[in-house]
Amino acid sequence: MAITRITTSAVTDDSVTLAKMAPGTDGNLITYDASGNPAAVATGSAGQVLTSAGAGAPPTFAAAGGITETDIWRVTSSFVGDADPITSNWERADDATAGRLGTGMTESSGVFTFPSTGIWLVTFTRNGYTNNNADRAMKANIKISSNSGGSYDYVSISFGNALDTSVGIVHMSATARAIIDVTNASTFRATFTANGNNSNSSTYGDSDLNLTWVEFIRLGDT
Amino acid sequence: MNIETGRPNHIEDYLISLHTGQWFGWSDSKNKVYVNLIIHDDSKTKPTEQECIDGLAQLQSDFDTKKTNAENKKASGKQKLKDLGLDDDEIKALIGA
Repeated sequence: MAITRITTSAVTDDSVTLAKMAPGTDGNLITYDASGNPAAVATGSAGQVLTSAGAGAPPTFAAAGGITETDIWRVTSSFVGDADPITSNWERADDATAGRLGTGMTESSGVFTFPSTGIWLVTFTRNGYTNNNADRAMKANIKISSNSGGSYDYVSISFGNALDTSVGIVHMSATARAIIDVTNASTFRATFTANGNNSNSSTYGDSDLNLTWVEFIRLGDT
Repeated sequence: MNIETGRPNHIEDYLISLHTGQWFGWSDSKNKVYVNLIIHDDSKTKPTEQECIDGLAQLQSDFDTKKTNAENKKASGKQKLKDLGLDDDEIKALIGA
């Protein structure tokens, strides 16, 4: 008579080999559902990590945490006076040692577009100087549009100033920063304004190092 | 310019002294020579190369003169304080040098 049923106690420890298991789906993992029954964790995508959903739900594969997008753009030429926004002479930082993650920003006439939705840290640093026997003040502003540039909102303004000593050069700097919830990558825009308390505030630009630059870091999902 | 000393050392220093705003740029920002100078603002006239050369030289001369004058005034002021009877420590306490 053929054996049709084996009790648990009849199976010795360490005796069930992989070959004895039923075939499954490539990349699936075995887990247990809320009822304690075996269940499969669906195959994830390359680079994803197994993420717990807590008690009562099976884990899933999900995107790994950490920074996935960073990008720095800089102004390549100095100028004097206001620029609202800074429309010209932008370049992506391209030093031999420059690093970047992800797709990066898109720039056109000083208007920056985000490559993806998410929570983004946006930083604008403006460096300038005075050497004309006059005190100078500067502002660095970040403006964001959520309607494809139809209107912009000031989200961060920073001030810098320098008292002229009439000898050599006096530097000044202003850094504006904002964390932006980019809910729609197609409609969000960022621009950067340089102005001051008079028409002669200056802005450094250089194509070999970051003197006036913007930095974008995607911190996480929206 | 030399960002440590402020002394003009490039024709870009002359260009930014001509007009405010981002009226110019470079077709090759890694090679900022006159032939690569481009004008963004059509209302502005592109200066000649000689104007750029002369303009930079004038800026450098003005800078050097200004610096020399400032140093001379500092020295003469210090001497006048000495003539009034202040010693070096007292002068340093007053003007920091």
